[in-house]
Amino acid sequence: MTELNEHPAVIEICNQLKTLVSCDFVGLALQNVSGPDVRWHYAAGNLNDKYKRITVRFGKGVAGKIISSGSPMILENFPNEIIGKVTDHPIMLAENLISSYAVPLFFNGVPKGVLLVGKREAYTFTETEQKLVDESAHTLEHLLKAHIIL
Amino acid sequence: MDLISSKQQISSYIIDSQEEEIKRIALELHEGVGQNLYSILTGLQFVETGIKEPHMKNHLREMSLLIEKTIQEIRLLSVELHPPALTTLGLLPAVKNYIKLYTSTFGILVDLESDGDERPIPERKRIAVFRVCQEALVNIAKYADTSEVKMNFYWNENELKINIHDFGKGFQPVEPKDHTSSSGLAAMKERMYLTGGEFTISSKIGEGTSIQISLPF
Ligand SMILES: Nc1ncnc2c1ncn2[C@@H]1O[C@H](COP(=O)(O)OP(=O)(O)O)[C@@H](O)[C@H]1O
Ligand SMILES: [Mg+2]
Repeated sequence: MTELNEHPAVIEICNQLKTLVSCDFVGLALQNVSGPDVRWHYAAGNLNDKYKRITVRFGKGVAGKIISSGSPMILENFPNEIIGKVTDHPIMLAENLISSYAVPLFFNGVPKGVLLVGKREAYTFTETEQKLVDESAHTLEHLLKAHIIL
Repeated sequence: MDLISSKQQISSYIIDSQEEEIKRIALELHEGVGQNLYSILTGLQFVETGIKEPHMKNHLREMSLLIEKTIQEIRLLSVELHPPALTTLGLLPAVKNYIKLYTSTFGILVDLESDGDERPIPERKRIAVFRVCQEALVNIAKYADTSEVKMNFYWNENELKINIHDFGKGFQPVEPKDHTSSSGLAAMKERMYLTGGEFTISSKIGEGTSIQISLPF
């Protein structure tokens, strides 16, 4: 896809979501047009720019698991109760996140993106908050549909 | 034979057999599983050319993409377990390869500098030094809360010195005998000791952590 800053509507939705669920971090990962790499294209509330250099590993960590399974994922108290190693969760480490809720973005019926909200404290995202994330993800799917080559 | 050195021999034996096993699995993943998946991918791409229905074509393309992702992950897993460069090209190229993977995994930049001419190191020692560097970098990703690391190699007449500094939050190091729960640092020290080298760690809250490794030739 083209650079995200050419899509202010996408950025707007991420920023809005951060306010709506009053979380510390919002991240949007998308599969590259060429090749299978998935990267974090946009973040709000980030502490540093490590997310820009992270390539999501397929099947690993929050984002990688969501891309491979197509199901949402909740972490309430990282690194407790995780499956696999602490180092399988680079975005949690990079941004000092303790809790997160993340959902897949589907394009053409295939999970090719991740929308993640996170907090730097232990937390359980409420059903209302989860719904807000789900809705934002759907809006993003529509907005980005034209920009992801399928 | 006294007790100490026989204990050391056992440790060395365990480490060596573990490394052998890791190497075997890494190779099996890369040459075996990876190659097979690659053959399947080529086969699928061939089948795709003979299919007309757009729906089926699309389905096949998604399957190919999934296999491509799996091949890539298998390759990364294999390199992580035992980088082929460590056996074929030597310590420095292996560390350079690992750093690339490390930056794309954790987003942490590593500035690597090497002074002097690289010297050949026996494989056992090479693996030990590599593992200690790897463990140091993993600790940094886990605990240091930093975006950059400085790594220096100094190849001297009779020893290799490596310095890893993380500019992170630092911590209060405890004597290895005092902490029984976490043994990563103790294991790094022991591993360098078993290869005839040395390992020291120093850390200052707010300034970061430094690790020094030395290996006599
Ligand atoms: N680079 C570093 N920056 C900050 N703290 C560190 C660093 N390396 C190690 N530590 C601290 O030292 C402790 C012990 O590390 P280690 O023995 O490797 O155990 P672990 O199995 O938790 O990685 C860690 O829990 C951490 O608090
Ligand atoms: Mg450790």
